[in-house]
Amino acid sequence: MLFYRYKDVIEEGDIVMVYIGRQQMKLVNVTLGEVINTRYGHFEHDKMVGKKYGDQMVGAKGYGFIYLLHPTPELWTVSLPHRTQIVYTPDSSYVIQRLNIGPGSRVIEAGTGSASFTHSFARTLGDQGKLFTYEFHEVRCNEARKELERHGLLAVNTTITHRDVCQDGFEIQGEDIRGDAVFLDLPAPWTAIPHLKHVISKEMATGICCFSPCIEQVDKTVAALQEEGWTDIEMVEVMGRRWEARKDMVRDISDVVKRLKDIQARKTQGIEGRRVVKLQSETATPEPNVSYDSGNKRPASTEEDQQKQSESESKEVSPSQQPPSKFQNLGKGFNPFGKGIRVREGDESYAWTQVTKIESDVKSHTSYLTFARNIPTKKQPEENV
Amino acid sequence: MEAGKSRGVIEAGRYAVVKLPSEGLKIVELRSHSTVNLGKFGSFKVDGVLGYSYGQAFEIIDDRNVRPIKSLMESEPTEIDTEEEEITKDKLTELFTASSESNQNIIDIGSKIQKLSNEEIDNLKKSGASSEIGQKIIEQMIAGHEGFDKKTVFSQQKYLRRKQQKFLRRFSVEYLSSTLMLQYYIEKDLPRVLDISPETLGLLMTYGNVRPGGNYLLLDETGGVILYAMLERMIGQGTVLVLHENEHANLNVMKYSNLSEEETKLTVKTASWLLFIEPDTQRIEWQPFTQEEIDQLPPAKKTKYYRRHNRALEINDTLDLIQNGNFDGFISVSTLSMPSVLPYVLDRVGGSRAVAIYNQFKENLLETQHFLQVDKRILAPSIIESRVRPYQTIPGRMHPVMTMRGYGGYVLWGTRVFPAENIQAIGRGMSNKKKNMDRVSS
Repeated sequence: MLFYRYKDVIEEGDIVMVYIGRQQMKLVNVTLGEVINTRYGHFEHDKMVGKKYGDQMVGAKGYGFIYLLHPTPELWTVSLPHRTQIVYTPDSSYVIQRLNIGPGSRVIEAGTGSASFTHSFARTLGDQGKLFTYEFHEVRCNEARKELERHGLLAVNTTITHRDVCQDGFEIQGEDIRGDAVFLDLPAPWTAIPHLKHVISKEMATGICCFSPCIEQVDKTVAALQEEGWTDIEMVEVMGRRWEARKDMVRDISDVVKRLKDIQARKTQGIEGRRVVKLQSETATPEPNVSYDSGNKRPASTEEDQQKQSESESKEVSPSQQPPSKFQNLGKGFNPFGKGIRVREGDESYAWTQVTKIESDVKSHTSYLTFARNIPTKKQPEENV
Repeated sequence: MEAGKSRGVIEAGRYAVVKLPSEGLKIVELRSHSTVNLGKFGSFKVDGVLGYSYGQAFEIIDDRNVRPIKSLMESEPTEIDTEEEEITKDKLTELFTASSESNQNIIDIGSKIQKLSNEEIDNLKKSGASSEIGQKIIEQMIAGHEGFDKKTVFSQQKYLRRKQQKFLRRFSVEYLSSTLMLQYYIEKDLPRVLDISPETLGLLMTYGNVRPGGNYLLLDETGGVILYAMLERMIGQGTVLVLHENEHANLNVMKYSNLSEEETKLTVKTASWLLFIEPDTQRIEWQPFTQEEIDQLPPAKKTKYYRRHNRALEINDTLDLIQNGNFDGFISVSTLSMPSVLPYVLDRVGGSRAVAIYNQFKENLLETQHFLQVDKRILAPSIIESRVRPYQTIPGRMHPVMTMRGYGGYVLWGTRVFPAENIQAIGRGMSNKKKNMDRVSS
């Protein structure tokens, strides 16, 4: 029932969405004695019992952590084992919104595939609705059935059928399907469309969405829909994008000039210095004489750096004896952008602007969504009106 | 707003949407024995559309009567009345079989190409109210169009479609879904709905995990479009607490909801921000009178007593709801600054529940996400964008439409968690610690 209603405290036998990382989640059945292993350590199921959904849990060794999340169709979409290409949330949420699917709707879905959309449908339909999902691949169908059983969907509103609907249609013995929404994610939806007339509602409008990656499939689908009397046919594409909040360093040109001047000054001083060193090798090189901006930019070097610097300088009798290396001047002088040192994004010693960065792998094309509807032109007897 | 049949069949006494060939929308109340006026598209008697299923298209025939047709663009008579003959789109094009292979011979001389004057068109319009007049106008316009035969078949069809949208007296009656409610306001007053698109509304409902039985916290500055969409997915099960910044919540849109005020009150609670942020100071100390005391009140005072009594109970109930917290989600469509709002809200959201925040500007959500990254109570916040691109859907000639409105907004989605104190993550800090330990031991 967890896909239909929230609960607060985890008990033995519950399902928990274990959050390991943004794209790494794992659904576990809390079983006493069992352990979940992740790259961040291992975690005992026993310790999950009694915790709240949403709690952060520390690893068995005292470090590393996971979050114990409540299962939802959206988290499941991120975590599920891919049996087939899945329907992602921007597509599925649009289909549900556009077909006006809600509690009490009767939905036909073919094929089940990885059952990602199946979960989303089931959640939205509630216990008054009904979901008929079909899968023609037997192994996938059995896996999906087990999963839907475990997640409590079969007990509430979902029926899964092993069937090639293109060949054998949608009818289920002893079941008056009366679908008012149809989602076809099939290689050849146009072969399934003629079978729909036997299972869609004869009382109310039925909306359909056919989900196909190729434009040629859309062509054939549209022709089949027209042939079968469906109207208001429209194909659309959904483009979903994810953005992350990041910070980008503000690099001011005046700082660039200041730094160049600093380098120049130190170079001259260096030449001067080396001459002095040659004369009196025991004296340390004096600090370059540069004035810094009071702003929030990192000063030339922190105390720690200065210490290290003086240490190394006292060890190296003469800098000129060292072979020149590009890291030789690390942290020295005016370094407004943290060149050569690892700067944490957002480090308060520097100035930043807030930016959004698009996800690194964009789903540039999921599929074409062909919508249409079937209106049974029939006037209900007056007394019912 | 309701499940089952009432979503299926057009009934009297309800609000519905009338869709016009121009794709314009109109929200109408279907009162039996009344007439609905569609402006230049004519008017129709409500009784004529009752009993059909929502989505049915009609054509206005004589005397404000209607007959069902296949769809707004295809006037093929449906099974119900096949006897009637009329000129269909294809037949109409057949009348002017001459067309060109290309647009080589088209010379743009603007409106001069049309011989039929506006005045003549107006006179034709006045000559009757039925759809046949529309057909007649289109026929005459084609006849009066000097370059029509120089157009390609495709462009002839497009021309026809444009004229049909303008002159045909057709409409369909649609169920007032949240998508159409939003669409109606998008066309009427886009700023009012803060630029939110239907796809983003769907995204918000899905990421917010809105479903029957949930107990949600909502900010809705659209006048209730978001609330309407939530109620559609809850059908009276669960509660929505709407927070408002004025003394009273603005839920104007709910007047079209087909729900009575009492029905709405069962699911929808409202509270001002003052109530929400300082519940302790707002509680009403209320000593109810005994029945005897009430009976002794004069009628005017009795009414006043009951009003105050109910108000006190209502406010205290709402305060209980707020103080119990553990909301099943926070959904926000608001122009308030979220970094200032969230500190008050997050503690009231239950563990592992979703937070779905809409804003028309990505930059505002960016600021919010930065805020949450420091706050730590929301796990893995992301900004999500969804844009739907419609296509010209004609087999063999599919392509995206050339222009579309640039609106839609963004949704920030995350999950409420309870971070533990002093947990050592495995990462760079960890290896440094190990190194330090190694150094100590060596």
